Amino acid sequence: MLQSKEEKCMKRKFNRIFLVLSGIFIMILAVSSLVMVLFFPELLSFGTSDNGEATKELFAMDTYITMTAHGWDAETAVAEAADKLTELEQLWSVTEPESEIYAVNQSNGQAVSVSSETEDLLSFALQMAEKTKGALEPTIYPVLKAWGFTTEENRVPSDFEITELLKNVGYERVHMEDGSVWLENGIMLDLGAVGKGYAGDLAAQILRDNGITSALLDLGGNIQTIGTKPDGSFWKLGLQAPFSEGTLGILEISNKAVVTSGAYERYFIGEDGKRYGHIIDPVTGYPAENGLASVTVIADEGRLCDALSTSLFVMGADRAMEYWQLHQNFDMILITEDGEIYLTDGIADMFTLDSYHSNMKVNVIEDE
Amino acid sequence: MNVRKMTQLAMLTGVALIIFVIELQIPNPFPIPGIKLGLANIITVYAVYRFQAGEVMMIVFCRIFLAAVFSGNMMALAYSFAGSVLCLAGMLLLRKIIDKKHIWIASVFGAILHNIGQISIAALVMGTGILVYLPFLLLSGCLAGAFTGGCAQLIIRRLKETMRYDES
Amino acid sequence: MSKQKILMIICVVVFLLGIAGSILVLLTPHGTQVNIVQDGIVLYTIDLTTAQDQTLEIEYKGRTNIVQIENGRIRMLEAECPDQTCVHMGWLDSGAMPIVCLPNHLSIEYAGSGDNIDAVIR
Repeated sequence: MLQSKEEKCMKRKFNRIFLVLSGIFIMILAVSSLVMVLFFPELLSFGTSDNGEATKELFAMDTYITMTAHGWDAETAVAEAADKLTELEQLWSVTEPESEIYAVNQSNGQAVSVSSETEDLLSFALQMAEKTKGALEPTIYPVLKAWGFTTEENRVPSDFEITELLKNVGYERVHMEDGSVWLENGIMLDLGAVGKGYAGDLAAQILRDNGITSALLDLGGNIQTIGTKPDGSFWKLGLQAPFSEGTLGILEISNKAVVTSGAYERYFIGEDGKRYGHIIDPVTGYPAENGLASVTVIADEGRLCDALSTSLFVMGADRAMEYWQLHQNFDMILITEDGEIYLTDGIADMFTLDSYHSNMKVNVIEDE
Repeated sequence: MNVRKMTQLAMLTGVALIIFVIELQIPNPFPIPGIKLGLANIITVYAVYRFQAGEVMMIVFCRIFLAAVFSGNMMALAYSFAGSVLCLAGMLLLRKIIDKKHIWIASVFGAILHNIGQISIAALVMGTGILVYLPFLLLSGCLAGAFTGGCAQLIIRRLKETMRYDES
Repeated sequence: MSKQKILMIICVVVFLLGIAGSILVLLTPHGTQVNIVQDGIVLYTIDLTTAQDQTLEIEYKGRTNIVQIENGRIRMLEAECPDQTCVHMGWLDSGAMPIVCLPNHLSIEYAGSGDNIDAVIR
């Protein structure tokens, strides 16, 4: 024994004190870091500062819009796009007394001059109405109103009322000339079915003009993408399940627009227990009911997606597939009320059902 | 077993139960299932260093059964049971190694094992997703175990009886 | 080294593991999809960015849990269970930690990050 007993005792005491103190120190460190992290989760986002990413959220056209752009001028680009969207809302709203559409609807047969954007939108809508043989009907507004879809006070109109209202429906009775619009008596315009898609196109164009090559615009569920994600991967878009909450699969795309329409978006249950959706068949004046739960259209332009998603829904699966065979400038995903999926071969590889819906039957529509 | 021993064990069980019930009234700031002070384990730790293995098990199992009845949560019995079995196994094994001056270490191990036992049963019931709580439970086990062990150690030091766990 | 020291070191190591693990768990990123799971079966898959404000009632052996979705967040609003831990957890936050109601075998958790969706077409 080289140390005296006292020295050994002292050493042990110091050892002990040392241990206890270090233990307490570690515990304090631990507890405080836990507490910090629990109360300040932002501390955890180190190294994720995105250079050149800008996001803008706004409410326009009756819908919640989010735009995310990547690029050096992202900030200015999205600000400009947001301004454009607000501007378009002022031009195209059916209910805003200051809008051009409102003015046209109140014009009593007089010609009203409109801005070039409205002119473009209207001529596009009329073209699509022609192409879809009236399945897209920009003048269906009075019927929509009768069903209460414009005021949320839904009701089932009588057959007689519908027949009368249908007398004032017909896109051929909208006339355009030299930047002016005039409507035959009783006609009312509502460009809601194509307006959002068109607005998305214009917003995306602004982003592109600002040099943006990667962006995602979400206009209340109407999606517009520019390029791929910054890392080169495709955008992953969830597809809303028409029958339940949540999504039923993922669609991967780049540089395309995607729009979905379905009765599930807005509907009411009548006193007879029947379900009445907001997409009206312009021929019958009743909500379109032909076995489709939702139609999703993928194309380069949002306006085309918007117009087609509504009109193909009205047409029903068979006529929709015929239309596609004829035109083929888009891709589509049809979901029937029986839970079957039909998709065009162009995007068949881009769509995957999630595990909870994997038992749905998938049919690929091929070019004939 | 003589009457005296039985009385001692019964009293300890009672005290543990009382501590448990009182602890139930303390609001728990951590919303994580399984995190608790476990003050009643002060009695358990004390018992491990005072009584024989069989006697300790009697106290513990009696206590958790009655605790489940008293708290109105019989389902928790499965979790407590699994936790206690592991905890006791660990502590009873460790008491050969750890002397009276470092009882808190045994208590820490006991607490950690207890939590592991609980979360294992929970994983069987709820799926492996719940295992994410393990780090938090390990942490709280260390802290709570050290605290209750420290208390038990103090008690043992103050009480003048000699440790008789290796006597029959 | 004496046995006590070894054991003490083990304690400290476990402790530090607990800290590290806790931080890791809290750090886990998450997407926007949540699953509501009972007894290992997924009852609902919900995308929080598009879900409407609503409450879901889920029954288990006669006891009810009420899940609330509001403003893109989800939580256990009410639960018929003895400890109410699940209710006290508040809004679902961490990518790894689910909200769990042990007695009723119910959990609300973020779906795997492989499902990271950029937006929902609806």
